[in-house]
Amino acid sequence: MTWVQLPNYLLANRKRLALVQDEVAFLLGAETGESVCRHERFTREPSLAVALAYEAIYQRPVRELFAGLYRKIEKEVATRSKTVTDRTRLKKTTRQRAHKIQTLTDMAARLSSKDENL
Amino acid sequence: MTRSNEKNLRIIAITPSTRGFGFAVVEGGTLIDWGVKSVKGNKNSQCILKVEELIAHYHPGVMVLEDHSAKGSRRSPRIRILGEQIIAIAKKQKITVTLFSRQQVRKAFFSDGNGTKDALAEILAKRFPEELGFRLPAKRRPWMSEAYQMGIFDAVSLALMIGERKSSQSVRVDAGESDN
Repeated sequence: MTWVQLPNYLLANRKRLALVQDEVAFLLGAETGESVCRHERFTREPSLAVALAYEAIYQRPVRELFAGLYRKIEKEVATRSKTVTDRTRLKKTTRQRAHKIQTLTDMAARLSSKDENL
Repeated sequence: MTRSNEKNLRIIAITPSTRGFGFAVVEGGTLIDWGVKSVKGNKNSQCILKVEELIAHYHPGVMVLEDHSAKGSRRSPRIRILGEQIIAIAKKQKITVTLFSRQQVRKAFFSDGNGTKDALAEILAKRFPEELGFRLPAKRRPWMSEAYQMGIFDAVSLALMIGERKSSQSVRVDAGESDN
């Protein structure tokens, strides 16, 4: 069975604070709770400013609130870091490039190991 | 299923009641949604629609329900039918269904196997103080109806039973056999 984290955990955090969508919307600076509803139902992703406002309201880091989305982005970064490593390896080796390859290899390994631990 | 996958399972527990049903969604020991859904009119069909919505939103791997066929169960015919309908939906969506009797739940939460719903609700409120602490109802007196939010506590207790399976016998509906 494959287990996929939910894109976000906004609903659980809102319920934890006993707030209703309209109240959260007001705290976010929105007029109605519609946008909050869309975020909680995963039909829309919030802007960076709104995501940070959620962090301020719920006192949880953005990567925790948007755990599924973060995991998805993390995977994409891991794939891209391998591509950049391969591209760098094609160039003439210098001390700076060797350091860069090491950094990117470590990054890919770190992000991939997180995936295996799930 | 590997141990790590079992730890990460998303579990949904549903407890049908006279007004609708209580539900709880647990993921890795964390409560991620909980509440009571009230319905009017044709209660069973309305409940089914709401259960389907929850399944579509959370894609649970396991569904936990009360075992209405267990000895001593006094659930009404309508609730028994609803339970069967919910199991049918879960099977259709390839969700593992696990049933626990109230007695099994009490055995898991109380050392002597005896305890009231109020006492169980208190235990759960202590375990999830931020989520359930403020929803803990006042202790029910003989002349009072059961509190509206008690369905949440019933559902949470069932959802947590998955972690307690080693110590109690559950019934896995899809496999059709006892699961220790």
